[in-house]
Amino acid sequence: MPVSAFPIGAERENGAAPSKPGESAPALVVRDLSRKYGPREVLRGVNLTLEPGQSVLVSGANGAGKTTLLRCVTGVIAPHEGSISLFGLDPEKQRRACQRRIGFLPAGDRAVYARLTVRKNLDFWARIAFVPRRERVAAVDSALRAFGLEELSDRRADRLSMGQRQRVRLAMAFLHSPDLVLLDEPDTSLDPDGVALLSGAVDEALGRGAACLWCGPTGARETVTTDLTYEFADGVLEPA
Amino acid sequence: MSTVRDLASGAMGILQRDWNVFIAYRGRVVMHIMSMIFTLTGFYYVSRLVTVGSFRSPDAYYAFVVGGLVILQMVTSTLHTPPMMVQSELYTGTFERLAISPLGPVASICFMMLFPFFYSLISAIVMLTLAWLIFGLPVQWSTAGLGIPVAALGALAFSSFGVVITGVVLLFKQASVGTTWIIALITLTAGLYFPVALLPGWVRWTSDVQPFTPAVDLLRRVLTGTPLADPAWLDVLKLVGFAGVLLPLAVCLLSSIARVSRTKGTILEY
Repeated sequence: MPVSAFPIGAERENGAAPSKPGESAPALVVRDLSRKYGPREVLRGVNLTLEPGQSVLVSGANGAGKTTLLRCVTGVIAPHEGSISLFGLDPEKQRRACQRRIGFLPAGDRAVYARLTVRKNLDFWARIAFVPRRERVAAVDSALRAFGLEELSDRRADRLSMGQRQRVRLAMAFLHSPDLVLLDEPDTSLDPDGVALLSGAVDEALGRGAACLWCGPTGARETVTTDLTYEFADGVLEPA
Repeated sequence: MSTVRDLASGAMGILQRDWNVFIAYRGRVVMHIMSMIFTLTGFYYVSRLVTVGSFRSPDAYYAFVVGGLVILQMVTSTLHTPPMMVQSELYTGTFERLAISPLGPVASICFMMLFPFFYSLISAIVMLTLAWLIFGLPVQWSTAGLGIPVAALGALAFSSFGVVITGVVLLFKQASVGTTWIIALITLTAGLYFPVALLPGWVRWTSDVQPFTPAVDLLRRVLTGTPLADPAWLDVLKLVGFAGVLLPLAVCLLSSIARVSRTKGTILEY
């Protein structure tokens, strides 16, 4: 099911470099990344590379460091050691250019405005993701369609079930056609239809050259086919 | 140019979001108007007791105090509301979405000042109108329109404090509690309820080194014709100076706070 507001290869008006099949720079390069919370070292020398069109699953026990890794990649928290490069850019120096190309689904069921309707939540995200004005409505409609939310578009978020809410959160992650999709336990609360829609959205993103980093607990069902699988243990990331 | 367009889009997005959230609670406006009427009524009867040399009549004191109440709305909207909003966003997890967006946490916090400002401006107009209609407040309509640019200038000057306090919430979660004390101090030293001339000499100097006093004086002058202690141009100059110097400093400080809270990891804590 298509969710792309930007056709592959099209020049984006918002200034971000277009996603190009075969783009030379990797979507994500993480080198020797370490991160502490107080004395506790959550990430220890993590290395990871994602090429455009590649899908990677990172699994691990609760508290193993999956969410911390994703938060470091999105730039919301800073690593204490090591480096991160996104599409060959330095996210510290070229923050806005990097953030335009990231789609992030945080773990849990939060990060939705409870008193706003589904459509207004998506429209707000489209605005702060700098989706150009004349493409905004189409992008929101496309995301609603992609996650089966058309009939719920005028319903307030606090009147949705957990699974429906998760679809809204996923729609936000994919709405601006990101080149790197970061998903933290994305199949939480989803029914089989929801999982199929998620799988379709990931396939569509991979098909247009985006990379996908999927995090989930150890032993969780594998909803999508991944190119590589890693396992977190004691803050160290190793091939599974 | 595209950066300006993007930021404008983000600012409009946040303004519209805050408006949509606001109107989702329908009883809020009615409750606010009722609170205004109770406050205006209380001070009206207090003013009937005032017979001091500083005011020629109880009505003169009432006009003075209503001017103070109007500016208090602006102070509260710029100092108290944004930190509360950020705290609420941290609870609901929506701040994470702002932080990872291309708009980013710093611009998001700055734009969160917009809705409270516009709301306080409208509240101030409603309060003034109620005081005029119900209690016969002698509004000087010929200059009252100037109250809007004066209030905007005052809010710009105050917002530097609001930006910093809101930033501090990212580091110390209960920082918004401190704003209650700050607002209480302002009401005392900026002459919101009584003339600053009544303050002891060792405190009075504080009235001259903050933007609230000139804003209060100017607003009273244009709304109710209360005489100014200093020339009007000097008060305007003070406000422009405070806004021009403090606001850029506050945004720089907020950027530093955001950086530190990213490193410490407190940016998402609540």
